[in-house]
Amino acid sequence: MTRRFYILMAVLFLLLVLAAVGSALVGVAAIQPSELLHSQIFLQLRLPRILLSILAGAGLSVCGAAYQSVFRNPLTDPYVLGISSGASLGASLAILFGLQAYLWGVGLAALVAALGTVLLVYRIASIGNRLHTTTLLLTGVCLTFLITAVISFIMVLRQDKMDSIIFWTMGSFASASWFDVAVVAPVVVIGMVAVAFHSKDLNLLLTGSETARSLGVDVERVKKVLLFFTTLIVAFVVSSCGVIGFVGLVVPHCVRLVLGADNRRIIPASILLGALFVLLCDTMARTVLQPSELPVGSLTALVGAPLFIYLLYKNKKQY
Amino acid sequence: MSHVPAIELRALTCGYKDRTILDSIDITVERGGFYAIMGANGCGKTTLLRCIAGLLPPRKGEVLIDGKRISDYSPRHLAQQLSLVRQHQQTDLDFTAEEIVMMGRNPYQSRLANESEEDRSIVEDSMRLTNTLHLRKEHPWSISGGELQRVMIARSLAQQTPIMLLDEPISNLDISHQFEIMDMLVDFNRSQGKTILIVVHDINLAYRYCPQLILLHNKQVLYQGPTAEGFTEERIEDVFGVKAHKGEEGITLRRK
Repeated sequence: MTRRFYILMAVLFLLLVLAAVGSALVGVAAIQPSELLHSQIFLQLRLPRILLSILAGAGLSVCGAAYQSVFRNPLTDPYVLGISSGASLGASLAILFGLQAYLWGVGLAALVAALGTVLLVYRIASIGNRLHTTTLLLTGVCLTFLITAVISFIMVLRQDKMDSIIFWTMGSFASASWFDVAVVAPVVVIGMVAVAFHSKDLNLLLTGSETARSLGVDVERVKKVLLFFTTLIVAFVVSSCGVIGFVGLVVPHCVRLVLGADNRRIIPASILLGALFVLLCDTMARTVLQPSELPVGSLTALVGAPLFIYLLYKNKKQY
Repeated sequence: MSHVPAIELRALTCGYKDRTILDSIDITVERGGFYAIMGANGCGKTTLLRCIAGLLPPRKGEVLIDGKRISDYSPRHLAQQLSLVRQHQQTDLDFTAEEIVMMGRNPYQSRLANESEEDRSIVEDSMRLTNTLHLRKEHPWSISGGELQRVMIARSLAQQTPIMLLDEPISNLDISHQFEIMDMLVDFNRSQGKTILIVVHDINLAYRYCPQLILLHNKQVLYQGPTAEGFTEERIEDVFGVKAHKGEEGITLRRK
C-alpha cells in the first residue's frame, strides 16, 4: 500500500509537470519549445494562468477532502458553507457598480462577501464555544439558496450585466495575472500545509467527534483550525477565478477509491490530482474551440463526471 | 504515601438541557478494581461514563482522575489515562481493523511521525490478546458484531491506559461471546492491573465476573461496594422491578 502510494504520487507529479509544459506550448499562438522562456505570451499570460489553475485545483481538492472528513459526509464540497454564493454575490455587486475597472476590484468584493458569508454561517451554527457540524452544513446550504436567489434578482433587474455575472459565476482563468498568483499562492500553500499537518486528526474525526476526543484529539480546536484555513483557501480561490465546481467534491473520492480512507495519503494525492485535473480542464477550455473559450467551471464536470462514474462502476464490481 | 483513587466523583451533577440525569453523586473507584455499573434503562449509566471520559462537562461537582481534576487534563493526556469502548460502533468506516486499532496509539504519537516499531508491536499484541489478529485486513462492515466489539477492545488496549471504560460491550453478543469477552477483561484486570468499569445488563454476569458493583437508581448511587453483598433480593426488586432469588447457581429472576 505504501509503495503504491509513492508510485502514484510520483506518477501524478510527473504528469503534472508534463501537463504544465504541454499547456504552455499550445494555444491560439503555438510556441516552439526552444522559444518558451523568451515568449511574452508564455511569461505574461500562460504561466500565471497555469499556476493559478494548479493552485485552484490543489486548494479546492484539499478543502473537499478535509470537509468530507470533518463533516463525515461524502457529499460535502468546498462550497458547502456558502463561500461560493457569498463570493458570487460580492462579484455581482461589484460588476453592478462597475468595479471591474479596478485591479482586483471584483476579486476583493468577492473575497469580502465570501468571508462575510462564512462568518455569518459560523455565527449561526456555533453553540457556546462549540461548532455543531450538522447545523453548520444546513446553515451553509440554506444561505446558499438565499444568496443565489438574490443574485437571480440582480440579474433579472439588470439584464445588461447578466452576461458578465454569469460568466464570472461559471469560473474562468482567462484573466489570470501574476497579481492573482501572488495573492492566492501564499494562502493556498500555507493552508494546504496546515490541513496536511492535521491529516491524522481528520482520520480520527471520521470515527465521530466523541471517539476522536477519547483518542486524544482536541476536537473543537482541530475543527476550528481546519475550518479557518480551508475557508481562506476557498475564499481566495473563488475570488480569483470564480466558481469551479465538481473538483473539490470528486477528486478526494477518486483518490479514496484507489488509496483507501487514510487522509495522510488522500491529502497529498488530492493536491496533485486536483492540480492536474484543473490544469488539463483549463487547457482544454482555451484550446478546444479556440480562439473562443469554454467555461472551465462546467468543463470540470463535463470531463470529470463520466470519469468518476466509470471509477465508481469499476470499483463496484470488486465487492 | 497518600492513597489516591483511580477515579473520584465528588457531588457530581450532570445532565442534558433541563434534564438532570445524575444528582450530586459520590463514587470512588479504587485502582485495579473491576466494577460493574448497573441500573435500569435510562438511569444514567452511559452519562456516568461520558462524564468520567470527559465527554460531558459536569454541571456541578468534580471528576478527579488519578487525583487531578478532569478539566486540567489535555485531551491527549486524558487519553493516556483512560480509554472508552462505546456502546454503538460505527460500521461504515473504510479503515481496516488494524488501522482502527492503531488509532489507539494516537495519544502517544506526534502529528507527523509515522507509526513506530513500538506502536506496531503494541497493536499486534493487543490484537493477539483479543483474538482479532486474523481480522487485521478486514473492514468493520465485513466482520460480525462480536468481532468488531473485540477490535474496539483491542484499540482500547493499544491505548495502554490504566483505566478502561466499557459501555455495554457485550449486550449484543451471544452468550459464549459474552463469556469470552468477560474472561478477557478479567485477565486484563488481573495480569495488567487495569482498572475496569463496565456497564452490563445481565445481573448474573456481573455477579459472576465483577467483584465490585455500582448500582444507579433515581439519579443516585443506590449502592457501591462488593457485588456479592450488593445484590440483595430487595435491591434487585427496587431497581429492576423483578422478583429475585439468590441460590447456589446464581440469581434467578422472574416477573413480579
